[in-house]
Amino acid sequence: MRPLTELDDSVLVSAAVAGNREAFDVLVERHRRTVYQVCYRFVNNHEDASDLAQDAFVRAWKGLKNFKGQSALSTWLYRIAVNVCLNRMSAKTPAIEAIESTDHFEDVRIEGAQHAMIREERAVAVRKAIASLPKKQRATLILRTYHDMSHQQIADVLGSSEGAVKANFFHALVNLKKILGSEP
Amino acid sequence: MTHLTPDELIDAMEGLLSEARQSHLAACEQCRRELAGLSNALTEAKQVSVPEPSPLFWPNFSQRVRVAIDQDASTADNWPAWWRWQVLLPLGAVAMIILGLMISVPKQPRNDDASVSEALQTPEAPEALDRWVMLADLVGDIDLDTASAAGVTLMPGDAEQAVLELTAEEQQELTRLLRAELTRAKS
Repeated sequence: MRPLTELDDSVLVSAAVAGNREAFDVLVERHRRTVYQVCYRFVNNHEDASDLAQDAFVRAWKGLKNFKGQSALSTWLYRIAVNVCLNRMSAKTPAIEAIESTDHFEDVRIEGAQHAMIREERAVAVRKAIASLPKKQRATLILRTYHDMSHQQIADVLGSSEGAVKANFFHALVNLKKILGSEP
Repeated sequence: MTHLTPDELIDAMEGLLSEARQSHLAACEQCRRELAGLSNALTEAKQVSVPEPSPLFWPNFSQRVRVAIDQDASTADNWPAWWRWQVLLPLGAVAMIILGLMISVPKQPRNDDASVSEALQTPEAPEALDRWVMLADLVGDIDLDTASAAGVTLMPGDAEQAVLELTAEEQQELTRLLRAELTRAKS
């Protein structure tokens, strides 16, 4: 018998729906990074992102029997994660971390402290600008820019039309340009 | 020729603009400037990365998910059968049917037993009873997902109404469960 880690998502989903928790564990392991990353893009801090990603997987477990396989499991998980994030955004203003990964410190050595500081300040400004976008625009920008999803896939995730996705993407960029243009 | 539409500007950024419109873009300073502004904003956004969490985070995260699923399952098991959606939804549907029947049966003056029995003997009454039986059959096995897919949703005031219809004992149990949930949420 093949180990669970070698099975594809659809087989693991069937096993998980039948009550096999280990199959679901493998799915979590396989998709946790992308789900965490999409959550981080929404809230810009590790603590909230990990809570949201956890919540998304709990919901996925509960709703797994409703996953019909019409889209990829990853698209379905994106949909859950985005909905969890959008719901949280309605209730809470995200805290933005000013300093991030260890890569930052490597940059300090390579580019010099001053250059790295300017880059970091700009990154914070961009995150703030993205955080201030209306919900649908923000979700569209995140999924298109950082997760390389097609307009149609985003439309499936957000439950809207491809035209609406394109319009949201356009307005997100226009707003981003405006906000960043007014930054000192 | 008209300037590029928002859709066309996005297509241009993604290299999908038609040849005819590309020639407009090549000749139009205003469209080129707008496209450059959008492209710059996108480039800036792309440069912002997600920091990689500590390597210890991932095994810990999987464990957290497992624990959260177990906790969620045990919380769900603590709710009494009468409070579950699978029960409340059919009950709500039956309540709506009763309301519908009350509206559909011709109104008779109150305190008049004779006129009530007359009303039940009207030609509409058996038809209304048939509707009740048919609808009760239809909603008997419905669950939340099926109901949601069919567009049945809770309306404002439904929850309050449901609580009012509980017996004193059920209300007491509900209060106990809500207190337990609040305590759990605070901790």
